[in-house]
Amino acid sequence: MYDKTVRRRRAVLALLVVLSLALLTAYFGEAPGGRLHDVQRGFLTVISPIQDGANKALAPVRNLFGWFDDTLHAKSQRDQLRKQVDRLRSELVANEAERRSYQELVALYHLDRQLNVSDYDPVTATVVGKSPNIWYATATIDQGQDAGVQVNDPVINGEGLVGKVTLAAPDGAQVSLITDSTMGVSARIGSSDATGIVQPKVGDPNDLLLQYLPANTQANPGEYVVTSGTIAGPDDSLYPPGILIGQITSVDEESAYKSVNVHPTANLHDLDVVQVLTSTQHSLPASLSRIAASMPPGQRGATGASGEQLASTGAGE
Amino acid sequence: MTGVPSLGLVGRIAALSLAVVFFQIGVVSEVPVFGVNVDLSPLLVAFVGLLCGSMLGAVSGFAVGLLVDLALVQTLGVTSFIFTLIGYWAGRLRELRDPQAALTPLLVGAAATAGSLVTYSLIEFMLGVDAPVSFELVRQIVLGTLVNAIVALPMWALVRRCLVGGLPDDPRRRRRRAYTTGGLSPLSRVR
Repeated sequence: MYDKTVRRRRAVLALLVVLSLALLTAYFGEAPGGRLHDVQRGFLTVISPIQDGANKALAPVRNLFGWFDDTLHAKSQRDQLRKQVDRLRSELVANEAERRSYQELVALYHLDRQLNVSDYDPVTATVVGKSPNIWYATATIDQGQDAGVQVNDPVINGEGLVGKVTLAAPDGAQVSLITDSTMGVSARIGSSDATGIVQPKVGDPNDLLLQYLPANTQANPGEYVVTSGTIAGPDDSLYPPGILIGQITSVDEESAYKSVNVHPTANLHDLDVVQVLTSTQHSLPASLSRIAASMPPGQRGATGASGEQLASTGAGE
Repeated sequence: MTGVPSLGLVGRIAALSLAVVFFQIGVVSEVPVFGVNVDLSPLLVAFVGLLCGSMLGAVSGFAVGLLVDLALVQTLGVTSFIFTLIGYWAGRLRELRDPQAALTPLLVGAAATAGSLVTYSLIEFMLGVDAPVSFELVRQIVLGTLVNAIVALPMWALVRRCLVGGLPDDPRRRRRRAYTTGGLSPLSRVR
């Protein structure tokens, strides 16, 4: 009787382990459109309404926990903000005279026109789930293909760029945040035309690194990094130009290409409502950029090795 | 528990697993504590194993892992594999040692969390996921284990409360009770 129990117990364990490894192998080996991915998409479709309902029902609980967390961090945040206000005030005074006398207002006007989000058919979505580990910086939203959301659509919120859609189901979608290890966004420093690729910083997944900038690029801590409006490869997402990504915290000049550390402006730990820009895929700039990205590097222009070229050859992917 | 589990107990485990996973995804994952997120799933699996034995621990670990992987759109099979081993290990701990100390759930919860985080990292490395290899990862594992250890005792109380009605009386515990009361119940001793 005892031997039978032991045999059965070991058989169940072996069966489950083998089943897990078989699932892992099959899932990892198949294409994104494979059968197991379809099952996952189907499951996401089924649980999205449940998650949505649970998210709404549990919002008070989340807010309560958030209130405790906010209270605990309030003092340190206050001190940080005071320092920031002092620094910003001095910067504001220094910039005021230059801002008045120059044509920056015109540039800002153009920037505002470029950032006219309504042109990109934004779909407002609520974040209903987030990955709890540091390996996958992903979030689940409650809008999907039925609302026009497609894979690679950019996702923003009021603070800046959040990420892009990496999986779309009819009633929900998965968003990879800009801190996800698979992400790479073509970007430029606000005051410069040189472009590079923003990727998560290895060793600190909450921060970003703007890489492959030309060595002569001027970059100073405190400057803002925005999307360049170009794409890093044929399968990449077209982020509208000028969307705020983050603020430069420090500059590294250790190699031929300059890289700068960037702290994201969007609070990716506290996402609630986001907007998916659904019309970028079929817009004229997107089509042109895709054509440009599919060309051999030598045919894209005589501007030298830019971030997009490096990325399209694999360095930035 | 070596016999076939009752349907009631399986139903309780299934309902508890669903509730905990949805609560984890919808609430707990969005509230960072000391910069990390509490992960209730490994605690749930370990405590089911600790209460119900190795077989149910392994099966519930596999099911919870699969649910987590499906809901979070992660690589299928990774979490199932880890949670199967955690559930089995916790169940064997109960069957072989039957620890009764008050801090047992805390230690088991911490060990299960640390084991799950380290194994998850190793598997992701083996799968070639481009991820940070640094002090940050070690910090996440250590802090994640500590934070999970803090919530282990309330989680144990919850799991125990939900499952205890479906558990059969354990003969070994009955024997232990008999031993500590001198082999007789207090009423029979009076007589």
